[in-house]
Amino acid sequence: MAYELMSGSQAAAVAVQRVGVDLVAAYPITPQTAIVETLANFEGKGELGGEFVSVESEYAALACCYGAAAAGARVFTATASHGLAYMHEMIHWCSGARVPIVMVNVNRTIGAPWSLDPDQGDSLSQRDTGWMQIYCSGAQEVLDTVMQAFLLSEELLLPCMVVFDGFYISHTYEAVDVPDLEKTRKFIGPPPFTAQVQPEKPANIHALITGDMQADLVRNRHETMLRAPAVFKEINHRFAETFGRSYGVIDSVMPPGTKKVILAAGATAETVRWTLPELEQTGMVQLRMFRPFPREDLCNLFEAHDIEQVVVIDRNCSTGMGGILAQELQAAVYGMEKPPAVKDIILAGGIDLTPEMLVKALTETASLDKVEQKWGVDLR
Amino acid sequence: MEEMFEFRLHGRGGQGIVVAASIFAEAVFLDGYYARAFSLFGAERRGAPVTAFIRAGKNRLMPRSRIYNPDYIVVFDSSLNMDTSMAGLKEGGTLLINSGEEDSGDLVINTEVDANFKVYTVNATGIAWKHNLAVGSFPMVNTVMLGAMGAISGLASLDSLVISIKKRVTAKLDANISAAAEGYDSVKEVERLVT
Repeated sequence: MAYELMSGSQAAAVAVQRVGVDLVAAYPITPQTAIVETLANFEGKGELGGEFVSVESEYAALACCYGAAAAGARVFTATASHGLAYMHEMIHWCSGARVPIVMVNVNRTIGAPWSLDPDQGDSLSQRDTGWMQIYCSGAQEVLDTVMQAFLLSEELLLPCMVVFDGFYISHTYEAVDVPDLEKTRKFIGPPPFTAQVQPEKPANIHALITGDMQADLVRNRHETMLRAPAVFKEINHRFAETFGRSYGVIDSVMPPGTKKVILAAGATAETVRWTLPELEQTGMVQLRMFRPFPREDLCNLFEAHDIEQVVVIDRNCSTGMGGILAQELQAAVYGMEKPPAVKDIILAGGIDLTPEMLVKALTETASLDKVEQKWGVDLR
Repeated sequence: MEEMFEFRLHGRGGQGIVVAASIFAEAVFLDGYYARAFSLFGAERRGAPVTAFIRAGKNRLMPRSRIYNPDYIVVFDSSLNMDTSMAGLKEGGTLLINSGEEDSGDLVINTEVDANFKVYTVNATGIAWKHNLAVGSFPMVNTVMLGAMGAISGLASLDSLVISIKKRVTAKLDANISAAAEGYDSVKEVERLVT
């Protein structure tokens, strides 16, 4: 074991260096800047292996990654908040083009007004773009998940976003077990996919097609993404054999007699895990994979434990409807023989969640009716 | 819950408190505890109030929230609003403050906090000047404060602090190490005078 104290952002960059990529194209934005800095430092010392391209915008960053991936390169980019929003058109394009790309998004509220706290609405609002999304709760998880995301993305030929909270993870220094370079390279292996663009075979790609043809492609993309949980579990099985750690598409803690479950994604999941011993008959689920939504894993878990109520921590708010994770969960449990009641705590604005607020939230959400939400700011 | 020690650091932009928090966390980690350091950011600028946090404990699992009821409050700059800095200090907690004034018996802590707490002082500004640690007219007190934090908490030895400083400080390394050692040795508990 080689533990080092590093931030979540540094852990993401170290993972990329360990994997070995052909190209990084990224534009700095708070709170993601340390990822770009660390990767640029690797390049400066000749340790990146691939090329670091300084681009003029986030849109250009992803366009650059797209072009390189189409030519068969293994690529990485990272952004946050307004940067992610600025990429939006290219985000759709990359999944439609079926190129593997790994992108880190560090959650930060989207303005106006300007804000830095980690509202997850930036990445959650990209849910329909055809990218897989995995949310991490700490620096070790970030490092491991970024490495695994390359394998997942390259297996399914779909881009993958690895997401974590600004400051609470990006700027938190903690002990991280850094895997050995050679061991990691051996585990990851060379990119297995074929270049779409080949100079010796000139072709027009992604030209205008009919709706019928598009429908086939969309169905194929959807059905391919539904395979992600199984592929991810298989990757983690092998990861555990090599590195001694593994993660699920959901990770749960179910003390005996659990009837109520708290569901959270990202940094707040760790606060929930810490607070659990203080709560009675309460378990927790960390939602790691958000796209595809792990409907089957969640329903199986709730059914196996006869769960009556799920309290969702939503660090976001879809204006006019409410927390996005709660909406997704409602849709996922619909059709279960005994679906659990879904309660929603909204931490819009990325506000801080303390163990004390969580204890209070559980008491106050007990009496909420089906469509009511509890606002985090009212729990202080 | 497992035993966990929480520190909140108050200083000004340019005093190096964010770096200090990560140096301290690393030293604590070297001495056998898990530790985390993080900070609150706004629009960073020299002189603006900055807050940083450290958690340390035997359990790797810790909450990911800000710290409202710290065991230790460390004030890098005594001209900061003391009510803001002292807010939420735990009963029986500890205040460490950069001050040279206790030598003349003048240390007065203006605060609304009614908890019982211990007060330690270290003349970090004086020690920083003595070791020529300044950026322009701005004394760099962070390594002195680190030494003092290690001494009063017992969570980070001077040896581990020095290892950690060597990894994260590049300018005036010898002076910074001497300053940390002087902070470690000269920090002292003082009578609490409250108005």
